[in-house]
Amino acid sequence: MTGISLKNVSKSYGAVKVIDNLSLEINDGELIVFLGPSGSGKSTLLRMIAGLETIDDGSLFIGGEQSHHLAPGQRNVAMVFQNYALYPHMTVRENMEFGLKNIKLSNDEINQRVLNAARILEMDALLDRRPSQLSGGQRQRVAIGRAIVKKPAAFLFDEPLSNLDAALRVRTRVELSQLHQTVKSTMIYVTHDQTEAMTLGERIVILNECRIEQIGTPMEIYTTPRTRFVAGFIGSPSMNIFPVELTKTKNKLEAKLPDGNKISIAHDTLASGEYDLGIRPEAVSITSEGADCQGIVRVVERLGDRTLVYVELTDRSQIIAQDLGTSTIVVGDRVHLAFDSRRIHLFNKNGINALLS
Amino acid sequence: MNAQYAGKINFIGGIITLITICAAVLWAFPIYWGIISSLKPEDEVVRPFIELWPDTLTFQHYWFALTQTQIGRWYVNSIGTAVGVTFLTVTTSMFAGYAISQLTFPFRRTLYWIILASFMVPTQVLIINHFVLIANLGLLNSWAGIILPQLIHPVIIIIYKQFFDQVPKDFREAAVMDNAGEFRILFKVYMPLNWGVTTAVSIVTFIWSWNAFLWPFLAVTKTELMTITVGITQVNDAFGVYYARQLSAAVLAGFPVALAYLLFQRKVTEAITLSAGIKG
Repeated sequence: MTGISLKNVSKSYGAVKVIDNLSLEINDGELIVFLGPSGSGKSTLLRMIAGLETIDDGSLFIGGEQSHHLAPGQRNVAMVFQNYALYPHMTVRENMEFGLKNIKLSNDEINQRVLNAARILEMDALLDRRPSQLSGGQRQRVAIGRAIVKKPAAFLFDEPLSNLDAALRVRTRVELSQLHQTVKSTMIYVTHDQTEAMTLGERIVILNECRIEQIGTPMEIYTTPRTRFVAGFIGSPSMNIFPVELTKTKNKLEAKLPDGNKISIAHDTLASGEYDLGIRPEAVSITSEGADCQGIVRVVERLGDRTLVYVELTDRSQIIAQDLGTSTIVVGDRVHLAFDSRRIHLFNKNGINALLS
Repeated sequence: MNAQYAGKINFIGGIITLITICAAVLWAFPIYWGIISSLKPEDEVVRPFIELWPDTLTFQHYWFALTQTQIGRWYVNSIGTAVGVTFLTVTTSMFAGYAISQLTFPFRRTLYWIILASFMVPTQVLIINHFVLIANLGLLNSWAGIILPQLIHPVIIIIYKQFFDQVPKDFREAAVMDNAGEFRILFKVYMPLNWGVTTAVSIVTFIWSWNAFLWPFLAVTKTELMTITVGITQVNDAFGVYYARQLSAAVLAGFPVALAYLLFQRKVTEAITLSAGIKG
């Protein structure tokens, strides 16, 4: 059992709380992503697991063993840093050997592990080079190699792709995913990039303001956000969110949009009142009949496979709709919009998705 | 217009070069005068007018200094004490700088402030305390007695601290994750990144120690234990002062340092810049 368990952990810097009574179970062999905006505490949480930050309160178990009192090197986890942290005066081989020499493995064992990692990462030819002689992508591989040779219970990645250019980032992302399938170890990956989170993570932990907003598979997070924050944070472009007034008439629930139009809500269990209505752009279509509202097209973004249409409603509020890639809509057109009522989310005053509670 | 502007810059550059050359000549003249005088017969040295080149060139004073004094022993004493001071100062400063920069312990900041404040106390103020202490320890007239009070160089601790501060935090964290202890982090990760600094401060500490006069002069009264800077004061006899002879001994005393400076000029300049930056 090499899963990781956090129970009621907290962390403060002076009076500033950065992790507040957080509990989390990470399964053995799982690739889990910590996602959140800057300052959400995701890197701090990772560093607490690594042992680079102390845990003020609560418990940490790695592989079933209570670990929060252990030194970082004794936790059997390996970390890949954002800036790689390769020792510039050592060759690639020496960088990879450093940790193994510290635990006094035999030279044969060290050599075998280094060669094995080099083979997995296809960097056999780089072993005698120094970090300064490597490209960004190669340095990234070495940093991962340095983690692999330790055969850790868990890999911790702290925004490892953020220094790579866009093309290399995509390629390395795929390689990381393949690496996970090869080594089958528990991996925790911290990022603020939702694309990385969605593509890499088996589960995503969304962090915001020192606490977990939601844990779930990428599609759960995307399709059923538990909070208004998650709804707005995940997805590009962001979910359309605007205030509505919910009224119940004759067992029928209706939401009054900002422009005065009304749409029916399928869930009749909700109480009347003020909510925030959320709907993703792909759930708002441009139609000629059965429209829920209408407006003037202000911006058109043609993405090839689809077209994003920014529509200004009569009350000047804006909504993003999605049309076909071959759409002929141009700025200034008057369009009718239809909402897919099955994909509507309603968030109460506390920001909780009322349709899920 | 551009040509006029370039001409103006060239003219100003020329003036600056001329001033610099004059300053260099002014600075170097005493050294030239010392060397030339040491090569003159004694009666030429005391003539009441300036002679830029000796009428008679002689090496008799050098021969005297090398054969009739204990200059060989003084060299050994100077090399021994300067190497000792350099090794111990650099080693202790390295550890202290690392501890203050990288470790967390009670009163760390206070300790750093004390080290900073020690800049404000000139060595001369402490010299009586040092003398009493070393005398009580029974270390007068010994290498240990010469070395110990010279080990206080806060500037080197601060140079190291600054350099350790500049090493990316990730390196330390990666090493900690790799199970490395503090000594291994210091010697395998931090020091290899700072060998340039260590070389520079070692050279400059060696020169400081070699040139030290006041403390070795007080700590040693036996001629055979004197360092070269103190020993050259002994190059006279009952019939008075022999300027040429003393100057030849001074030239011999300064020669190794001058040689070291010439060989390691860039490193010495680097070290002086580092320490000046901190003192400034």
